[in-house]
Amino acid sequence: MYPLSFSIAHALPETILAVGALLLILVGAIRGEKSAPLVAELAIGLLTLALVVIFIGAKTTATVFDGAFIDDQFARYMKALVLIGSIVTLILSRDFLRRENIDQFEFPVLVMLSTLGMLMLTSANSLISLYLGLELMSLALYVVASFHRDNLKASEAGLKYFVLGALSSGMLLYGASLIYGYAGSVSFPGIAAALKSGPAIGVVFGLVFLLAGLAFKMSTVPFHMWTPDVYEGAPTPVTAFFASAPKMAAVAITLRTVMVAFPNITHEWRQIVMFISVASMALGSFAAIGQTNIKRLMAYSSIGHMGFALVGLAAANAAGVEGVAIYLAIYLVTTLGVFAAIVAMRVQGRSVENISDLAGLSRTDGWMAFFMAMLMFSLAGIPPMAGFFAKYYAFLAAVQAGLTPLAVIGVLLSTVAAFYYLRIVKVMYFDEAAPAFDRAPFAVRAVCAVATALVFCFWVYPAPIVEAATNAARAFF
Amino acid sequence: MLSEHPWLWPVLWGIVKSLVLLVCVLVSTAVLIYGERKIWAAVMLRRGPNVVGPWGVLQPFADFLKFILKEPILPDSANKVVFLLAPYIGVVLAFMAWAVIPVNEGWVVANINVGILYLFAVSSLGVYSIIMAGWASNSKYPFLSALRAAAQMVSYEVSIGFVIVTVLLCAGSLNLTQIVEAQNTRFGFLGWYGVRLFPMFVIFFISALAETNRPPFDLAEAESELVAGYAVEYSASLYLLQFLTELVAILTMSAMMAVLFLGGWLSPFPWIPVIGASSVFWFLLKAWGVVFMFSMTKLIVPRYRYDQLMRLGWKVLLPISLVAVVVVAFVLKLAGH
Amino acid sequence: MTAAVAFFYLFSMIMLASAFMVIAARNPVHSVLFLILAFVNAAGLFMLAGAEFLGMILIVVYVGAVAVLFLFVVMMLDVDFAEMKRGFLQVLPIGAIIGGIVAIELILVVGSWTVAPAGSAPVGSPITPGVTNTVALGRVLYTQYIYLFQAAGLVLLTAMVGAIVLTLRHKVVKRQVIAEQNARTQASVVEIKKVPFRAGV
Repeated sequence: MYPLSFSIAHALPETILAVGALLLILVGAIRGEKSAPLVAELAIGLLTLALVVIFIGAKTTATVFDGAFIDDQFARYMKALVLIGSIVTLILSRDFLRRENIDQFEFPVLVMLSTLGMLMLTSANSLISLYLGLELMSLALYVVASFHRDNLKASEAGLKYFVLGALSSGMLLYGASLIYGYAGSVSFPGIAAALKSGPAIGVVFGLVFLLAGLAFKMSTVPFHMWTPDVYEGAPTPVTAFFASAPKMAAVAITLRTVMVAFPNITHEWRQIVMFISVASMALGSFAAIGQTNIKRLMAYSSIGHMGFALVGLAAANAAGVEGVAIYLAIYLVTTLGVFAAIVAMRVQGRSVENISDLAGLSRTDGWMAFFMAMLMFSLAGIPPMAGFFAKYYAFLAAVQAGLTPLAVIGVLLSTVAAFYYLRIVKVMYFDEAAPAFDRAPFAVRAVCAVATALVFCFWVYPAPIVEAATNAARAFF
Repeated sequence: MLSEHPWLWPVLWGIVKSLVLLVCVLVSTAVLIYGERKIWAAVMLRRGPNVVGPWGVLQPFADFLKFILKEPILPDSANKVVFLLAPYIGVVLAFMAWAVIPVNEGWVVANINVGILYLFAVSSLGVYSIIMAGWASNSKYPFLSALRAAAQMVSYEVSIGFVIVTVLLCAGSLNLTQIVEAQNTRFGFLGWYGVRLFPMFVIFFISALAETNRPPFDLAEAESELVAGYAVEYSASLYLLQFLTELVAILTMSAMMAVLFLGGWLSPFPWIPVIGASSVFWFLLKAWGVVFMFSMTKLIVPRYRYDQLMRLGWKVLLPISLVAVVVVAFVLKLAGH
Repeated sequence: MTAAVAFFYLFSMIMLASAFMVIAARNPVHSVLFLILAFVNAAGLFMLAGAEFLGMILIVVYVGAVAVLFLFVVMMLDVDFAEMKRGFLQVLPIGAIIGGIVAIELILVVGSWTVAPAGSAPVGSPITPGVTNTVALGRVLYTQYIYLFQAAGLVLLTAMVGAIVLTLRHKVVKRQVIAEQNARTQASVVEIKKVPFRAGV
C-alpha cells in the first residue's frame, strides 16, 4: 500500500475540490446571504486551480486507495473536460441567478460537489467508487435542477430527475451486486480477471443492469425520458451544466467500465452499446424536429450526440476510444457555446426560450446570430466545423472495427438531425425580426465567442486535442 | 430430555437468570416509586405516602392493584392494534436493555461483544412506543406529544452517541464488563470515566434526562400544555405498562451511567481493606445515587420550552460532544494508546 | 446449531412477511411499522451471521433514527392510499402477463446455466481470529477504505446541503438570546421616574 501522501498527490484535484467545498460552505455560513458573489468567484478559482493541477501534475499512471481510484491519462483528459464544463457553468450562472433572484451561495458549492463526484467517477476503478462518485454527482444535480424552488417547472424538473435517478441508481446497484456476486470482486481489474474464461451468465445479467444505470446518467435511449422535461424546467445555466460536465463523466465511466472490467466479453456489451447508440441517434434526430422550445431541442440534440459518441465506444478499439474522447471535447465546447447564447436570450429582463424568439437575430444582434449559426453548423456536423471532425473520428473507428452498418446509420441520421439545426439558422437569418434581446453580460458573450472560435479553428490546428485523445486512449491499450 | 439435549442447559440457565433479574428490576421500580414520592415530599415539606402499610411503603403495591383491577378503556376512534401494541413494545424494550447490564463481575445475563451498542440500540427503540401510542390514540394532545417526543429523543440520542464514543475510545471495548474493568485503576474513583471525562458525564446526564422524558425535559407529557401527552387516552393496565416503561428506562439510564462513568461494581477506595472490595453493593449505591439525582433535578429545575430544548441539544450539547470526541481521540493518540 | 437454523428461518420468514406487508398494508403508517419490523429482523440475520456490529448499527441508525423520521412524516401526511391503489387492479393483469413472460425467460436462461469455475468463488476477507468484528471493521475503515469512507461522507454532506437549500426559508423570527436575557439588570430595563405630586408627567 502506498503512503497517504502519494495517494493524495494523485487525487489532488479531488482533494482541492473537497476541501474547497467545505471551506466555501463555512464562508457562506459565516458571511451569510450576501456572500454568494464571493463564494462563486472562489469556486471558479478553485475549479481552475484543479484544472491547472491536472495540466501540470504527474503524468504517470497510478492506482491508489487500495485499488479504488485510478489516475491515468484518460482520467486526466476527461477530468479536464468536466472541469471546463463546470467553470463555464459557473461563469454563465453568475448574472443569470442574480436576475432570477436565486443568487444563493449554495449554488457554486453544489456545483463544486457535483464536479467532485464527476472527477471521482472518472477515476473510479471499482464498483464501489463508481457508485459513490455517481451518487455524489447526481445528488447535487437533483438539487440544482430545482434550485429555483419557487418555480413550478423547476420543482417538477428536480422531482422528476430525482425519482427517475433514484430508480436508475437502484438498477445500477442491483447490477453491481450481481457482478460482485458472480465475479467475486468489485475492482475492475478483478472482474476482468474473473471473466478470463468467458462470460458468466450472472455477470452478463449484472452488466445489463449496470449499463442501464449508466445509460440513464448519459441520457441515452431508452433511459432518456427525463431529459427534455428536466432540461426545460431547470434554470438555463443548470441546463448548460447538465448538457456538459455530467455527460463527460458518465461517458468516461461507461468507457472505463466496459474497457477495463469487461474486455473479455466485448461481444456481449457491444450489442447493448450499439442498440443504445442507434436508438439515441434516431430519437435525437427525429424527436427534435417538432420542438419549439430551444432547451427541449437541445435536450434531444444531446441525446442524439451521446448516441454518436457511443458509436466510437461500440468500436471497442483504441481508435474508438480516441474518437469518443475527441467527440466529447468538441461536443462540450459547442454545447457550452450554444447554452451561453441561450442564457443571453432575454427580452426586457425576462428570459425567453422559444425558437421563435430567435427570429431575425441577425438584424438585432449580428454577432450573436453569427456565433449561434456557427455552433449550429458544428452540431449538425458540417465541415469545416469541429463537429464534422468529431463525427468523422467516431465513425472512422467504427468502420475500422468492421461496424460499417453502424457508421452508415450514423451518417444518415446525422443528415436528418442537420435539418433542425439548420432551421434555427434559417429562423435567425431569414425570419421576421422578433423583439431584440437585452445586451448580454460580457462573460456570456465571451464564452459564446471563444466557443465559436475554438469550433472554427479546430481544423486549422487539431493537434493538441487529437494528441491528448490519443494519449488518453493509450490508457486502455 | 435434558440429558438428550445438553444445549438446553444454557437456555434454562439463561431463563433463570433473566427471571431473577426481572424480579429485581420490578422490585426496584416499586422502590423507585415510593422513594421518589418521599423525596419530593421531603423537599416540599410534605409527608408523602404514609397510609398504606408502615410509613406508607406498601403504597406502590396498592397503586399496582388499582391499575390492574380497573377497566382498561379503548377509545372508539383509536387504531386498536397499534394502540394495544405500543405499551407492550415499550415495556418489553425497557426490560430487554437489562440483559447486558453487568451488576457485578460476571453477573450479567448476556455478556455480548457489543453490549454498549445493544443498550444504545434498545434505548433508541424506546421512542417507538411513544410515537405509536401518540398516533394510535387518534387524538390531538397525544399526537402532539408523540411528535415532540420523537424529535426530542432522536436529537438527544446523537449527543448520547458521541459521549458513548468518548468512553469507548478510552476503554477500547464495546463490552460493558470490559468498560468497567478499564476503570479499575489503583487510583480508585479517580480512574472512573465520570472523573476522567467529567464534562461528558454531565452531558450524558442531561441527555439521559431528555431521553427518558424526565423533567426538565418532560415536554412530551407536559401537564400544563398537553394534559398527559401520549398517555392521555390510556387507562388501567395499559397505562401501568407505560408507567412501568418510563420507570424502568430511568433505572436503565442510571445503571448505564453507573457502568460507563462510575466504575460499576468497583469500590471507590480499593486501598481500604473491607469496603475496598468491589461488590454489587457499590453498583447499587451508584445506580441509586444517580436515580436520586434524577429525582432532585425534577424538583430544582423548571421545565424547558420546546425551542430551548432543541437549542440545547443541537447547538450546545452536540457541538461540545463532537469536539470532545476529537479531543479525546487526539489525547489518546498522543498518549500512545 | 439447530437453534441458529431455527432462528434463521424465524427471522427470514418474519422479514419476508413484513416486507410483503409493507406494500400490501392499506394504512401507510402500518406500512412503515412493517418496514421497521423488517429492519429489526434483518439486524437479527446479521447477528446470526456473526456481524453483530452491523446488526446493531442497523438498529441504531435505520430503526432508531431514519425510520423514526420516516414514520414522523408519514403520520403527518394525509395520503389516501386506497385511492392511489384503485387503478392498481386494472393494470394488474398486464403486469402479471409481463412478469410471467420475464419469469419464463429467466427460467430458460437459468436452465442452460453452468457455473463458471473461476468466477464462482467469491473472495472474502478473512477476519483475524480473536478480533471482534467491530475492531476488524475499524482497522480497515480508516485505512484501506479511507477514500470510500470520505466519499460517502461527502455524499451525505451534499444531501444535507441540498435539503437545506430546497426547504429553508429565512423568515424574520424574533429569536431568543439567552445571554442578553440573563444580562438584563433592573437598572438597564426599568427607569424610575419621580412624578411630582399633582403636576403630571
